[in-house]
Amino acid sequence: MAVEMTMPILVVDDYKTMVRIIRNLLTQIGFENVDEASDGTEAFEKMKKQKYGLVISDWNMEPMTGYELLQRVRADETTKSVPFIMVTAESKTENVIAAKKAGVNNYIVKPFNAGTLKAKMAAVIGDF
Amino acid sequence: MPAPEVAARVRESLANLKAKDLKDGQVMEVLALAQQLTDTMQLFFGSLDKSIHQEFVYIADYIARTRTEISKLRPNDIKEQRIPTAGAELEAVVTDTERATETIMLEAETLLGTRPDDVAAYKAQVDEAMMRIIEACSFQDLSGQRVSKVVESLRHVEKRVSRFAATMGVHDAEADEDEIAEADRKKKLHLNGPAIGGPEVKQDMVDEMIASDLDQNAIDALFD
Repeated sequence: MAVEMTMPILVVDDYKTMVRIIRNLLTQIGFENVDEASDGTEAFEKMKKQKYGLVISDWNMEPMTGYELLQRVRADETTKSVPFIMVTAESKTENVIAAKKAGVNNYIVKPFNAGTLKAKMAAVIGDF
Repeated sequence: MPAPEVAARVRESLANLKAKDLKDGQVMEVLALAQQLTDTMQLFFGSLDKSIHQEFVYIADYIARTRTEISKLRPNDIKEQRIPTAGAELEAVVTDTERATETIMLEAETLLGTRPDDVAAYKAQVDEAMMRIIEACSFQDLSGQRVSKVVESLRHVEKRVSRFAATMGVHDAEADEDEIAEADRKKKLHLNGPAIGGPEVKQDMVDEMIASDLDQNAIDALFD
């Protein structure tokens, strides 16, 4: 099934510049319907109100981290199937294992480029 | 009254009693015993006085040495100059970086949103944008200098604190409850922060881990 390019994507990061970078990369790839949240709490509230086709989240945020957001998303019946990509500078093996066990769909280590983002998105939601 | 003086008085009283030529043998025995006790006490309190005096001399020396070492630490210089200056330099680095990033992002976004219908005009616009991006990158020189000053201040503080700790024989106390709670939270949430010198696990390794079943054998295999 072809990926719907108008599907809403939620970008979660406490650094506005990183949100802006990801938004620009998504726009270049062809995804224009991008929403933003600055931490896990705000992201989860938005996810409860709207169904997103993909969540791209940072790990290290306050008060709710991306890891906690992932756990909460997977534990909630209405959000548990939303594809989730972690984009983070947390690059220890324990982080990747923890994210995998929590149900992450893919994991991108910062700094990253447009090619990596596109490849990981395609691996999660299908080719576009 | 000092112990030796008390002992002298007791001894004098005993001598006076003995001089009265008492006939009662039991009283004389008691007096002899009291004499022995007084002599013993004089020795004891004498040594105690000397020991306490030595302790106080040691404590006074220690306090004097501590004051000297604290003054060498120059805490007021650290508190009023070094730390505030380092903080201001780091804030300036953040501000300069944000300003440069904003400029670069804006130029890039403007170009991405421009239709190159008129090639010559588009070329001129790109050239101007590139020049503004190059100019914006000049923040790196200033930031480098600012960060160097901060590093120098940190080394200065580290040197003085290390010297103080070594001289005074200071050992680290247990972390307080808030620090322990914060450390536990970071451990539980795997908040390690960026690794020095680039990612600890490269993207291709991450890809392998994500693709694996992640049973213990698979995890072990990643470290072979």
